[in-house]
Amino acid sequence: MAALEYFEVECVEEKGREVYEQIASDVLLDLDLVRVVDKLHIFIDPRVPVFVAVGTTRRSGGLVRIRDFADVNADEEGRAVLSIGDETYLAPMLSILWERYGKEYIDQPDRFSVVVHLPAGEDPRAIEDIVVADPEEGLYRDLIYALQIIAPEGFKVRREYHAGGVFYYVASENTLPEEIVETLVAEKLKLVGVTL
Amino acid sequence: MIFVPITYKGGVYRHDEIVDLIEDLGGYIVQKHMIAQDVVLQSLVPKDDVDLIRAIGRPLGGEVILAPLVGTEIAVVSPSLEIHHLPHSSCDVAEYLRRAGAKTNMVGLARGFGKRIANLNVEERDTINEHDLAVYVLGNFETCIEEKFPTLRRGIHVPIVITGAPPSDALKRIIDPPVEGYVGGMGRCMHRTKKPEELSTLDAMVEEVSRVLDEKRAEIAKDPLSVSPARLMKVIEEKMEAVHMVNHPTPVTVQIAGLRVKIPYEIYAQDLRFLEIESGVTVGDVAEVLPSKMRNYIWLRIKPFSETNIMV
Repeated sequence: MAALEYFEVECVEEKGREVYEQIASDVLLDLDLVRVVDKLHIFIDPRVPVFVAVGTTRRSGGLVRIRDFADVNADEEGRAVLSIGDETYLAPMLSILWERYGKEYIDQPDRFSVVVHLPAGEDPRAIEDIVVADPEEGLYRDLIYALQIIAPEGFKVRREYHAGGVFYYVASENTLPEEIVETLVAEKLKLVGVTL
Repeated sequence: MIFVPITYKGGVYRHDEIVDLIEDLGGYIVQKHMIAQDVVLQSLVPKDDVDLIRAIGRPLGGEVILAPLVGTEIAVVSPSLEIHHLPHSSCDVAEYLRRAGAKTNMVGLARGFGKRIANLNVEERDTINEHDLAVYVLGNFETCIEEKFPTLRRGIHVPIVITGAPPSDALKRIIDPPVEGYVGGMGRCMHRTKKPEELSTLDAMVEEVSRVLDEKRAEIAKDPLSVSPARLMKVIEEKMEAVHMVNHPTPVTVQIAGLRVKIPYEIYAQDLRFLEIESGVTVGDVAEVLPSKMRNYIWLRIKPFSETNIMV
C-alpha cells in the first residue's frame, strides 16, 4: 500500500504473512482508512495464538466547516447563496441549517445550491464558519472494526487502545497474561517508533 | 450405454427441440435453468451423441460444454459463514463448482472457527454425509489447519477435498490420515477472486474434485447400482405429482449413488417406496428411502446390485 508510511506484517509462516498482508491492505482500502492510518505493524503467531496490530494515525485535518466544501455569497436581497462543491457533507449541513434557521427558511433550488433566508441584520458570510462534521468522531470505532475484520475470526479475546494518534489491538483465542501482552505491544510499538 | 455429463447453453428460442432431442436419445436433463433469454441445461447424454447435439444446437446459437460434475451434489463446508469474511471465498468455490455442473450446498458450521474451540455437531456431520463429496474451505495457517481439521472431519465418511492457503504439499504433510484431495493456495481472502492466478487455482480445485469423484464412480462401477440415479429421477418426476408443486430449482437432485427428493418425508415416503419403476420393481426394492437431515426432505440411497440382485 503506497499511502502508508510504514506497513509490515510479521508472521512465523511465510505463506500466512503474504496472505495477511493482502487481507490488511484489502480491508483498509475497502473501509477507506488508508489515508487515516500512517504506520501499521501486524504480528501474528498462530501457535500461541496471538494477533497484534500496532500503529499510528494521521491527524485528519480538524473540523469540517461549510467553507471547506461550499462557496457562500450574499445576493442583493441579503440571502446567503451556497454553491456546493462536494456533496459528502451536504446532508449533515442541511440538518444543521434546518435546526438553526428553520426548515421554511432554507431552499434548495437544485442539487448543488442552497439558499438561506437570513434574519435581518445577520452577516451571510458568518455561515462559512459553521461546523458540519468532526472526522475524528467514529474514527476509533472504524479503526477497531477494521482491525477486528483483519484478525482471524476465532480470536475473540481482545484488547484495544487508541489515543493521541497511537493505537494497538491485541487478540487471541485464549486469555493471555497481562504482562506478556504489554511487553509484546511495547516491543512492536518500538518498531513503529512509539513508546507509550 | 455410456453417459457423459454436458452443459448446453443457448437461447430460449426453440430450446424445446434440444430438450426433446436429449430425451429421444435416451439422455436425462438433470437441471434446467431459464435466466431471462438464456437456457442452461445440465444433462447426461449418451457418449456417441454429443456431436449430434452440438450440431443441432449450433444454428440455434447453443453451445455444448463437457461439465464433469453434472449429476453430483457437493457440500461446501466452511468453518464459518460470518460477515467477518465477506466477500467469502467459499462463495467463489461454490460458484465455480456450480459452473462445472455440480449442485452445491453451503454448510456453514455453527462453531467451526478458532483452532482450539472448533467443533462439528451431529446435525452438521449427518448433513455433510448425505453428499457425494465435501469440499472443506479452510484458512491461511498450517498450524491452525493441522490442529482443527481432525475435529472438523470426525465422522465424515464421504470423500473430502481440502483447500487452504498453504501449498498442496504442506497440506498433504500436515493432514493425517490423508484425505482424497488437496488444493493449496486458496485460503481466506478479503476480495473476490478475479486475478488469473486465483482463477487458475479454482480451476485446479474443480479438476481435483472431478478426479476424486471419478475415483468414486470407478469404485461404484465395480458393484453397479440397481438403477441409475438419473433414470430414477425421471421416474419420480413422471409419477410423483407432488415434486412439481415445490419451488426449488431442483426438486429432485441427482447424486452419484442417490437422490434428494424435496418433498416432506412424513407424507410422501410411503408412496415413494411403493412407486413402480418397471415390471413390478418398486423404488423401495432398489433404494433405501430415508429422512434427510436437510429440512424434511427425502433422501434415497440406491442399493448396489450385489444387495438387491435387481437391475432396472
